[in-house]
Amino acid sequence: MAARLDRARAPDLPGAAKEAFLAAIVAFVLALPIIGLGTYDRGGGRLAVEPRWDWVAIGVAAVFGGRLLMALTRPARRAAGGRRSWVDRAGRALRPIQPYIALAGLLFAFVLPFMPFSNRYVMDIGTQLLIYVMLGWGLNIVVGLAGLLDLGYVAFYAVGAYSYALAAQYLELSFWVALPIAGALAAVFGVLLGFPVLRLRGDYLAIVTLGFGEMIRIVLVNWYPVTNGPDGLSGIPRPSFFGLPFAASAPEGGNSFHTFFGLPYVPEHRVIFLYFLILVLALITNLFTLRIRRLPVGRAWEALREDEIACRSLGINPTTTKLSAFAIGAAFAGFAGSFFATRQGFISPESFTFIESATILAIVVLGGMGSQMGVVIAAVVLVVLPELIREFAEFRMLVFGGAMVLIMIWRPHGLIAFREPTVHLAAWRRARAKP
Amino acid sequence: MTEAMPLLAVERLTMRFGGLVAVGELSFTADSAAITAIIGPNGAGKTTVFNCLTGFYKPTAGRMTLNTAAGPRYLERIDGFRIARLGVARTFQNIRLFPRMSVLENLIVAQHNGLMRASLFSVAGLFGLPRYRRAERAAVALAEHWLERVGLAEQGDIDAGALPYGAQRRLEVARAMCTRPIVLCLDEPAAGLNPRESAELSELLLGIRDGERIGVLLIEHDMSVVMGISDHVVVLDYGRKIADGTATAVRNDPNVVRAYLGEDEISSLAEVAG
Ligand SMILES: Nc1ncnc2c1ncn2[C@@H]1O[C@H](COP(=O)(O)OP(=O)(O)O)[C@@H](O)[C@H]1O
Ligand SMILES: [Mg+2]
Repeated sequence: MAARLDRARAPDLPGAAKEAFLAAIVAFVLALPIIGLGTYDRGGGRLAVEPRWDWVAIGVAAVFGGRLLMALTRPARRAAGGRRSWVDRAGRALRPIQPYIALAGLLFAFVLPFMPFSNRYVMDIGTQLLIYVMLGWGLNIVVGLAGLLDLGYVAFYAVGAYSYALAAQYLELSFWVALPIAGALAAVFGVLLGFPVLRLRGDYLAIVTLGFGEMIRIVLVNWYPVTNGPDGLSGIPRPSFFGLPFAASAPEGGNSFHTFFGLPYVPEHRVIFLYFLILVLALITNLFTLRIRRLPVGRAWEALREDEIACRSLGINPTTTKLSAFAIGAAFAGFAGSFFATRQGFISPESFTFIESATILAIVVLGGMGSQMGVVIAAVVLVVLPELIREFAEFRMLVFGGAMVLIMIWRPHGLIAFREPTVHLAAWRRARAKP
Repeated sequence: MTEAMPLLAVERLTMRFGGLVAVGELSFTADSAAITAIIGPNGAGKTTVFNCLTGFYKPTAGRMTLNTAAGPRYLERIDGFRIARLGVARTFQNIRLFPRMSVLENLIVAQHNGLMRASLFSVAGLFGLPRYRRAERAAVALAEHWLERVGLAEQGDIDAGALPYGAQRRLEVARAMCTRPIVLCLDEPAAGLNPRESAELSELLLGIRDGERIGVLLIEHDMSVVMGISDHVVVLDYGRKIADGTATAVRNDPNVVRAYLGEDEISSLAEVAG
């Protein structure tokens, strides 16, 4: 008996080698056209193809080695399955102080613009990060809570951005008026997408939502008279500080931000203001989600993710429940979209490609579906790290893919898999025991 | 309600899947404050009857009348989740809890519709208005009541999926009861339970019958449970009703003996062969 157990745990070298060999063949077939053929300039703008055998060899060797290692360590990992890994133990230890970590992060976010090392570059990365955090939190409602795998989330971001740009251009609406309209429009699109996919789950849902995202982008590219096609919309008005523009010279008979507050004009004011704007928008998204999780709709979303049939048997209407998740998730993307438009001053369909949807989804999945803190960590990893290692920009996608694979092997439920219940019996009893 | 009007009347219910008649021309009634058992060999069509009653299947033909306080409702015309709102609750042969939600959350989700109304579709809840807080307090109290009834009072805060099998079965009953049903449909609630747990389940069901005075429909293979607590037994074989009456009457019915005997022979043959 014991001998048999030992054999089950011992690494199976021939099996592992076979597995790694097969993986290497697949890698070879894929690598041949994708990295095996490079182009170089023959002069005069003419391109020539040049084989890159060394790169193919490195790639195939890496896959063989990686897969061999994976197969050999699998029994050990499986044996450790019952025990907790150090990540789990660390997570468990940190759990009670998680609110303080969140608070510290929040505080840091608020004082960041006033730190001595803070400059325009830091503010730009911070703003960029917060956009993704907000999108991650918004998508978390759809994917993490309601369990609806949405691969076309960027479509609602685009709807929000174009709503503001067009509203400003044709109706001369200010950012503050257009913001709720953009959110509402995105929500309408969320419902429109929701209807046809009500019966779909998992992979099928992912494919249809992916198609929807592309449809929106292609409409934006081709509807020239309204969206100006691939050239995009420019001259989108910048937001004002509750009516006070950020301009070097005050408008006639009025004030601009710096004259009103008696400050010297610095262009960074607007950058810092934009940073705080997205910080507040993201926080609203977060607070809303934390709150709605504890309300009947939020619990119904999670229940729907767990078991739709059981939900029906309890009288929960799956149609309205799913549509509300799509609509609310989309609305937050719409808000983020209008922010994006006003920050950039220029938008084109190129900003709303599938890779954006994939990045946002990766943030949610890597972070741990449903975890608000996980989204922040994953967004830092996927958005800030690539910025910091700019020199290695060519390897960005490689690192991205590698991180995905590693996480899926070691933490298949994402970085933070822990789920806080939305109601505690112990807490209710304690509250009742008090006079 | 008069004596003549049963809580639930099923008339000539038929459900076909292609050429297969899973349920054929089935008629029976179920009363309030009574346990009606539906028994029969595997594949007899018992679960299919529940799926028709609770709106998961649209029956091919037949009528299912639920006599509610507000008048009769014809279940064959109503969407599944609306049937649940009329007061027909069920459990599943393969347990269907929300495994990654806590035990208490499972019971709160069961009270979704009341809480949704109290929270004005979440608006009042979003702002924490007192009317929602009151409703939530009542929901937790009802959940706690049922946790005590099924013996899970101390497990409220753990994940439903982490409970042992028998406890999951009881939690599913508690969850169905938290919808405040008038008909409770239980699909093999004693499957996989040990004799002690089965006896506890019988006690629980008798308590629901006599305490809540609702109609209980019970699909069960464990004859000690069925014969011990049923007021009325309906026997199905190949989708048709072959007997209907009190437990004692049904046990001695030659048709029933034949149907079960046939199955026993097959299973003992299988044992010998295996
Ligand atoms: N959705 C379905 N599609 C096709 N056949 C079904 C379906 N549901 C049940 N059946 C068939 O109907 C018959 C009765 O099944 P069921 O009601 O599950 O029996 P049981 O009495 O064991 O609960 C079986 O032959 C089963 O294969
Ligand atoms: Mg069955």
